[in-house]
Amino acid sequence: MTAVLTGRVRLRGVTRRYGTRTALDGVDLDLGPGVTGLLGRNGAGKTTLMRCLATDLDATGGEVRLLGLDPSRAAERTDIRRRLGYLPQNPDFYPYFTAFALLDYMAVLKELGGRRARHDEVRRVLLQVGLYDRRHSRVRRLSGGMRQRLALASALMGDPALLLLDEPTVGLDPEQRIRFRNLVSRLAVESTVVLSTHQIEDVAALCGQIVCLDRGRVVFDGPPGALLARARGRVWEGPGDPGTGLTSWRLPDGRHRVLTPEAASAPGAGFVPVEPTLEDAYLLLVGLSGESEAAR
Amino acid sequence: MSGWHLTPAQAHDYAARRSDEITAMSVEAHLMHCAPCRTLMPADEQWLADGWASLRDVVDRPRRGPVETLLSLAGLRAETAKLLAATPRLYQAWLGSTVVVLAAALVAAHVMPRGSLMFVFLAPVVPLVGVALAYGRGVDPAHTLASVTPMAGQRLLFLRTCSVLVPALLLCTGAALLLPYTTSAWDAVFWLLPSLALVAGSLLLGRWIHLSAASGIVGALWLAVLGLVSLSGQTVPVGVFAPAAQLWWGVLLSALLGLLLLRARTA
Repeated sequence: MTAVLTGRVRLRGVTRRYGTRTALDGVDLDLGPGVTGLLGRNGAGKTTLMRCLATDLDATGGEVRLLGLDPSRAAERTDIRRRLGYLPQNPDFYPYFTAFALLDYMAVLKELGGRRARHDEVRRVLLQVGLYDRRHSRVRRLSGGMRQRLALASALMGDPALLLLDEPTVGLDPEQRIRFRNLVSRLAVESTVVLSTHQIEDVAALCGQIVCLDRGRVVFDGPPGALLARARGRVWEGPGDPGTGLTSWRLPDGRHRVLTPEAASAPGAGFVPVEPTLEDAYLLLVGLSGESEAAR
Repeated sequence: MSGWHLTPAQAHDYAARRSDEITAMSVEAHLMHCAPCRTLMPADEQWLADGWASLRDVVDRPRRGPVETLLSLAGLRAETAKLLAATPRLYQAWLGSTVVVLAAALVAAHVMPRGSLMFVFLAPVVPLVGVALAYGRGVDPAHTLASVTPMAGQRLLFLRTCSVLVPALLLCTGAALLLPYTTSAWDAVFWLLPSLALVAGSLLLGRWIHLSAASGIVGALWLAVLGLVSLSGQTVPVGVFAPAAQLWWGVLLSALLGLLLLRARTA
């Protein structure tokens, strides 16, 4: 079984429908060890995809293989869940539990060892997320950021081979975000981490692979460098707002940064091409995919 | 701190427990403050590490609530007791309201003509409402986290169902014993098979729709059927629980349990 479990994520033509609405439309994906960033606008299908990967939701079509196993079969689904860590969007808890008691309860649900081993694991993850000092605090007394870290601690229990993090840095202060990045980058040496987020900085700092969804379809799947390469020659800075760009905004020094749909000549007098950021590349990608959809 | 330190001989005698009482106390007081002298003491690192780990475990161990303690005393495994005790607050509210509803039904049975019909209507539905509130999205705050763990699904649902059925059956049986016409144990459990069949039906239906919705549909059907029969002027509601009908309830329950087992194995 161990040999089988060393596999990763493989999706082929995965579809998920809610009634007449299609949330995922023929998604193909291959993920190995490392951090993969899942990007997309609200409603693009990110959370649906994460829930399918977390075995919380069945695909209505296509083939899903997680850690080499088929989640549609009960026994294999349970095996996957033993090696899975999932931080959902907006996690909720029993407010009257202490942080330690909640994680202990989650550890029982995750079938982690006997009492002593379970408590050791709870201590380990509380230390990892910096909540050990608050282990006896009731959940209702924790701040939003602390609750987020508590949910992250729950996901980290048992050293999961597949770690799914849906908007993990919401509510974290800058110091905690750096700590989170360090933690995830260390875990990703051996684990497959999928990070669904709107925080492009987190993706830039952590991800070796980016998957971008739009209207349930994968519109980009590749390394950050490939996404950046698509944007070269389409990002400009200059004086004034030319009004012709796909997207433009005023910079602190009074100049304007403009994203143009095509690699073309300068959008206005005095504009020069500049090196794109990942955020520029993402905006160009989702803007273009949205436009091409509208043109159909 | 004085300039006094342990000699190797004193350290050896203390470690071998050969020091007299006064010397031993002096040595212990000194060791508290003197790291160099502590190095003279032989130490079993593994024993020390185990000791600290045990101490940490005692300090960190979550305090067990009354329900968890009671379940453990009843012989359940500590893990099972923990899972059963961590039921949602809605479930606890259900338990409180169950007591109130059954008390009201008892009062009605004693003071109103045909008042016992209220108990007949409600007793089989009481466990059903508890099941609806014990598991699932919307009623369990931690469901999103719990639903992707190995224990989630049938196993956790079964545990939560048990945590509802046991108090529900005890409360309803206790209340039935206090009904005016109850003369034997049989009179007190007339509602049991229909109630279990309704729970099994909702669990089966819960494979396709939300458990709360499934329980709502099954409960509403039960109340609607009994209500229609009562409105038609017949005294038949009681006939639903007659010995011959109990046989059919038993058959229905067996069939539903069989289907549930089949679904659990093939899901």
